Amino acid sequence: MHVCTGCSCLCDDVEVELEDGVISRVYNACRRGAGIFLNLNSSRASPSIDGEQVELERALEKAQELIQGSENLVIYGLDTTTLEAQKLAIELAEKKEAFIDDNSTFCLGDFVEMILKKEVPSTTLEEVKDNAYVIFYWGTDPYHSLSRHLSKYTYYPRGANRQRGYEEDRFLVVVDVRKTHTAKLAKKNARFLKAGNDEEIIRGFIDALEGRSPKIFQKDIPRILKEMEKGKFNVIFGGLGLKYGLNGNYDLFKEMIERMNEKSEVYFLPAGCHPNMRGFNELLFEKTGHVNRYSFREKRSSDDFAFHRLLESDSVDTALIVGSDPLNSLPLEYAKKLAETNTIVVDPRETFTGRIAKVVLPSAISGVESGGTMVGADGTRIELKQVFEKEINDEYILKKLLEVV
Amino acid sequence: MPITPMEVYKLLPKTNCKKCGEQTCMAFAFKVINREKQIEECTPLFEEGKYAKQKEKLLELLEPLKEATETGLIVDEEKCTGCANCIVVCPVHASEDPHGSGSGYGPKMEDPIYRLEDGVLKIINVKKCRRYGKNRILCVACRENCPSDAISFLEG
Repeated sequence: MHVCTGCSCLCDDVEVELEDGVISRVYNACRRGAGIFLNLNSSRASPSIDGEQVELERALEKAQELIQGSENLVIYGLDTTTLEAQKLAIELAEKKEAFIDDNSTFCLGDFVEMILKKEVPSTTLEEVKDNAYVIFYWGTDPYHSLSRHLSKYTYYPRGANRQRGYEEDRFLVVVDVRKTHTAKLAKKNARFLKAGNDEEIIRGFIDALEGRSPKIFQKDIPRILKEMEKGKFNVIFGGLGLKYGLNGNYDLFKEMIERMNEKSEVYFLPAGCHPNMRGFNELLFEKTGHVNRYSFREKRSSDDFAFHRLLESDSVDTALIVGSDPLNSLPLEYAKKLAETNTIVVDPRETFTGRIAKVVLPSAISGVESGGTMVGADGTRIELKQVFEKEINDEYILKKLLEVV
Repeated sequence: MPITPMEVYKLLPKTNCKKCGEQTCMAFAFKVINREKQIEECTPLFEEGKYAKQKEKLLELLEPLKEATETGLIVDEEKCTGCANCIVVCPVHASEDPHGSGSGYGPKMEDPIYRLEDGVLKIINVKKCRRYGKNRILCVACRENCPSDAISFLEG
């Protein structure tokens, strides 16, 4: 059994078959997960300096030089690597008084922060499987982003206290702007709330909890609340739709969860995210009290220290990018800025960022070629069980880079 | 696309000649879809020239029957993302493999009906399906919970 590092579900029941030392079959993983195992050897990165292929030793030396000479370093990415490597990256950032940031800045970092600061009650996916009755998916389409989420952890599996299957023992609520694939599953014993404005729906719930008639979904909202009281253990999964729908204003949402908890138990969990995004958030939070966008020189976190903002304001001279491809995901204006920065890319595969990077250091695919620990979206620590062992992994490379500071 | 007995009936000779062994053409149409009878057993359709056009249409209509399994199940792997909803909701899996697929994990039983292989759904052992055999139940749990319509049944 292996752990799939395709998304934050971190499914731990994946089996592989080897033929002549090559993975030939993958069982139990979803399409995305299986791809990671099956395409192990395609588009692999090779060590290079300024686009020219070199020996790994030379590339490492050049990267060390760049790190040593940098005045304002930013370390970015890190969400697809292990806790062990993340720790080293944070140590490197601390020693270099650098900026450090990950994808959670525009992913669900805010939600993880809310949970770590204990502003909303949270739980684990195992608890959800065993106990949850009303399950909300708010602004997320797990059918695509976390394929096995519903079948492995939430709606479909039978749990210790939920033995009668989804039709009787679960109640699904999907809140989204369009009828997504997940919303299509909201049939019997379920509701789909087509959201125009998230705040309006939250107000609807608060109104109903205070005994007033909600302005929208007059029938659905009171029914959902009634089911929640009946269920005793309920969970809300918030996705990017909720985050951007609320535009950084989470007070009303937190108030809604607090009010709901007066009548029944309601927990909140982020849905979406990279495999080990929460791991990075937790490590940085332990050390600094912040989850991302942190400057070790100024000892504070700010929106100005988000990776794209740093590029925009020309605040950095060197960027160390681990397991992420910002050139692929950021708008062109930032990509241009990134091309002007000394960039070191640490990635197992070829990336667009790698093409414009000063130095590319090929590493190993976490979970397939290197072990370690990752933290799922619910905060559960999971030990990876690699299929092969590759010596040059993120940990090895970051240790080498730490040697010179 | 599901095929209905009525669609098949309309293209049959509709003479109730009983040469196939059934009392009516409608009864024969039902059995063709259930794979209890072969369309070739309707001899007038193949022997008499006046049915040639109907025959062509009918054979075209029945083309998907060849792809379908014994229970009429068709899985379109192109549409499947490997969410495994179908594997977990399957009542047979739930009762025979409660700690494996019934609890959301990959199947731990010997011959599951379904399993995810290389990221998509594969039919492993259709004989376990409740739709299989004489005393079958027309269960559609897997199809109902496939949001991308990768699972379909012949009869709709």
